[in-house]
Amino acid sequence: MQTTNPDGQRLMLRVENLTHRVSLETDTLTILKAVSLEINRGESVAIVGRSGSGKTTLLGLLAGLDTPTEGTVELDGAIISRLSEDERAQLRAHRVGFVFQSFQLLPALTALENVMLPLELAGMNAPEKRARELLERVGLGERLTHTPRQLSGGEQQRVAIARAFASDPAILFADEPTGNLDNRTGQEISDLLMALNQEQGTTLVMVTHDEQLAARCSRQFHIEAGELTEPVAQVELAH
Amino acid sequence: MAATKKLMSVRRDWRERDVRVVLAALIIAVATVATIALFASQLQRTLVSSASSFLAADRQLEAENGRPVPEPWINEATERGLETGRMVEFSTMVFGSDAFQLVSVKAVSNEYPLRGELEIQGSSEGSRVQVENGPAPGEVWINPRLLRLLDIQLGDTLEVGSRMLTVAGLVLREPDGGFSLSALAPRVMMHVDDVASTGVLQEGSRVKYVYLFAGEEASLERYYQWLQPQLEPSHEWEGVRDGETFSRSLDRAESFLLLGGSLAVLLAAVAVAVASRQYALSQRDTVALLKTLGLGSSGIGRLYLKRLALWGVTGMVGGLLVALPLFWVLTRLLSEALERPVPFQLDSAALTPALLTAVVSLFAFAYPPIRRLRNVPAMRVLRSQPGETGREALPDMLIAIVAVFGLVWLYAGEVSLVISLLGGLALLLGALGVLGWLLVATLRKVRGGGHAWRLALVGLYRHRRASLSQIAVFAMTLMLATTLILVRTSLLDDWQGQLPDDAPNHFLINIAPDAVDEVADYWEERGQPLDQLYPMVRGRFTELNGQPVKQVVSKDQRVGALNRELNLTWMPSLPADNVIVAGSWFEEGQTDGVSVEADLANALGLVLGDELTFTIGSDKVTANVTSIRTVQWDSMKPNFYMAFPPGGALTNMPATWITSFHLPKDRKSELNEFSRRFPTVSLLEIDNIIERIQEIVRQVTQAIEAILVLILAAALVVMAAVVSATLQDRQREGALLRTLGGRQSLLVRSTMLEFALLGGFAGILGVAAAEAAVWALQFRMFEGAFSWHWQVVLPIPIISAVVLSMFGRWQLRPVLSVSPMLLLRRLE
Repeated sequence: MQTTNPDGQRLMLRVENLTHRVSLETDTLTILKAVSLEINRGESVAIVGRSGSGKTTLLGLLAGLDTPTEGTVELDGAIISRLSEDERAQLRAHRVGFVFQSFQLLPALTALENVMLPLELAGMNAPEKRARELLERVGLGERLTHTPRQLSGGEQQRVAIARAFASDPAILFADEPTGNLDNRTGQEISDLLMALNQEQGTTLVMVTHDEQLAARCSRQFHIEAGELTEPVAQVELAH
Repeated sequence: MAATKKLMSVRRDWRERDVRVVLAALIIAVATVATIALFASQLQRTLVSSASSFLAADRQLEAENGRPVPEPWINEATERGLETGRMVEFSTMVFGSDAFQLVSVKAVSNEYPLRGELEIQGSSEGSRVQVENGPAPGEVWINPRLLRLLDIQLGDTLEVGSRMLTVAGLVLREPDGGFSLSALAPRVMMHVDDVASTGVLQEGSRVKYVYLFAGEEASLERYYQWLQPQLEPSHEWEGVRDGETFSRSLDRAESFLLLGGSLAVLLAAVAVAVASRQYALSQRDTVALLKTLGLGSSGIGRLYLKRLALWGVTGMVGGLLVALPLFWVLTRLLSEALERPVPFQLDSAALTPALLTAVVSLFAFAYPPIRRLRNVPAMRVLRSQPGETGREALPDMLIAIVAVFGLVWLYAGEVSLVISLLGGLALLLGALGVLGWLLVATLRKVRGGGHAWRLALVGLYRHRRASLSQIAVFAMTLMLATTLILVRTSLLDDWQGQLPDDAPNHFLINIAPDAVDEVADYWEERGQPLDQLYPMVRGRFTELNGQPVKQVVSKDQRVGALNRELNLTWMPSLPADNVIVAGSWFEEGQTDGVSVEADLANALGLVLGDELTFTIGSDKVTANVTSIRTVQWDSMKPNFYMAFPPGGALTNMPATWITSFHLPKDRKSELNEFSRRFPTVSLLEIDNIIERIQEIVRQVTQAIEAILVLILAAALVVMAAVVSATLQDRQREGALLRTLGGRQSLLVRSTMLEFALLGGFAGILGVAAAEAAVWALQFRMFEGAFSWHWQVVLPIPIISAVVLSMFGRWQLRPVLSVSPMLLLRRLE
């Protein structure tokens, strides 16, 4: 089943009334308050906000890494809270890619093996061929057998980007992808991410502090104290 | 599936410290338990074979009713594949050239002995030779003393009944010589086929038919199952285990080995538990990532289960690869120490507990924390999640404790062992609770600073949760190791105490009342004073409370003591190694009453006040039970089932006297002179038996030492596992401290002090808990043989403190050898 918005565009992600609370020892903390948003297929969206505003929690819920206290997340036609954990894992394996601030590569595996891993988990054919192609695409064709420890931060993030696109995801979630990198490397990584996103036609949802990076997305959501302010048109932001 | 396969490969796992510890723990556990089990089974075979030679077979069937047993019984044994042999024992007069003598004849079949060796001298100048069969028909072998008593030479003839037999050899050692006091007269050994032609045995003669059986333990047991219902009260089935001299040494050795094995199981479980929990913690990030990349919970479960199975297989194979050569070496050592080694034999059934240990430690201890990995939230990739509180692990811990104690129980078959160890552990946990509270209360006020002591105390307080759990594991490890050291020490002391170098090795029997003083003076003058002399009256226990004893006592309760004459005595004071367990010893001047040996009283259901009647010749003597006492059967001193007070019911009965004394090996030749001087006194030489018992003690001691080494190795692995659990945190702290300007020496001193304190606390707690466990064990398994050994116990907390501070120093190596910057980056 495909969901469309009133303008007839196909929706990738629809969030309604998303509320998330965590119980502390003495009281309950509301991290997200009735967040609703829609993201179209192929769009690139930045979620910006201060530390502790709830943006990482929102990203986790959107990607189905966690389930909300209230409200629904509909990802590529599937209502996440209605799926079992294993079904959510299946969904992630086939439709979702991730890029993290701290790269999250498995230290014991080589660059090539790190990229092959999601392909193998999704049961895809010829994982090694695909992984090689992607690593060459991100400029690491010569570093296939290196382990993360032998790579610089920028190189590690390139491997992570190659891994994120490996299973040909419909949507890519990125959590501060340039947060651990210097300006110049961060710029290179942003370029790579945006370029690959364009090439693959992937929907991109990104949490970032980096205003320049956020500005390269087609839309931005601001989040403050768990509440989403209206999406701001890209043109207005440019001023 | 190159990447996923690699994630699960044991070779890659081996690079992870925690996995190395789990695998090492498993390998050591399997190796220890397998070596112990294999060695115990080898030792058992050796001991049984040593002890079997006391019966000249694995089992004996004695018929004391003067009739041979039905032939089909023996045929059945042969059909079941058992070796059989037979003997006829009786006393008779034999005639030499111009003298005659009462002798104890043992007529044996060709198969005798089935176990053990016979040692004879074939000519007057010849040396001792070991032979495998008894004398041929037409020949006799005799006790050397008979040469003089009968004034004959080797090669002369001896008249036994109406038959003339050639004296072809001198019996120097019989495998079943034992030291049964009924064999008072000198031995004549002949062939069983010659017995009928002597015409000595008539209807009503006192004769004992003895049948020998040897073969597989299981076949012997099955044969006995078949035979038992047909046995009459006058038949006695005797196995090695019934031999009083040996059963205790055997049982204790076995108990010790089982205790050692059980402790190895517990230690392995602790090491596996600690290391796999640590491993599970370190895997949470990987699991979260795998989940994010689309692997479901069940996939995660399968992934780690496969890995666990691989560890199990590696542990088992590795353990066996260590155990087999070790077992081979131990067996070789054992064989070298033995006169008659038992062939090396791999008892595959003995491996079951070892493999079971690996499976149980993996699934009861390693699996629970690893199974909980399935619950690691995928969200962890974005933000660290609260860790485990430890509460969810409680049910797992309970299951694990039940599983491991079940394993110990299954393995050792001793509830008391399980209870003693559990009690010790409970005490330990209680003490730990108190210590934890004290630690928090007192250390809270200490402030850090530039002083190593203060830093160490602050360190203890800051890591109080980790410190307490480390103390718990160290203390438990030390408790288990100390328990074993204590039991070993008290066991060895006890054995050496029982058979000191000057233990009596000769008995003098049949001393006429008027010769008692003369005999005593004879040895006194030669510097070999005799032990206590006891009168001995032979009598049968015939009535209990006025009823014939064979009617009152059910068939099941009947013991050999009812079928033969007992040696009754009177004694003024309780022998030092006897212990009164009920009633009280005779008072000064008391002349009534009788004291009964505890096992016999127990078997017959005798209680204080029971009236016992003994038939002595044609007389009857009656006395009431006034005390029940335990007897040290393996003390190699005269021991009696029934003891009367001096001046009591036995006083006027015909008695001879018995005593024992120690004679050094190099003075054995003096016995000839003694025999010439006192021809009527029988001399029983048991120095060979004592040597054999000492040999067995040596074997068991070696086994115990070897096992102790294995257990201590297991204990070290546990310690390494626990220390390495906090390695990363401590290294990070060390690096930070250095970054902030802390001097290396301060860091080293404070860390070593902190660990020394941990080790010291754990040592004290562990030793206290071990004393409690051993105190409990002493009653059940080792029959009160325990005594306190402070000299063994005191150094343990000190050693533990030193070893742990070395561990602490070792942990700091990377912190000291590379720049703090590099280390902090590596630890990120």
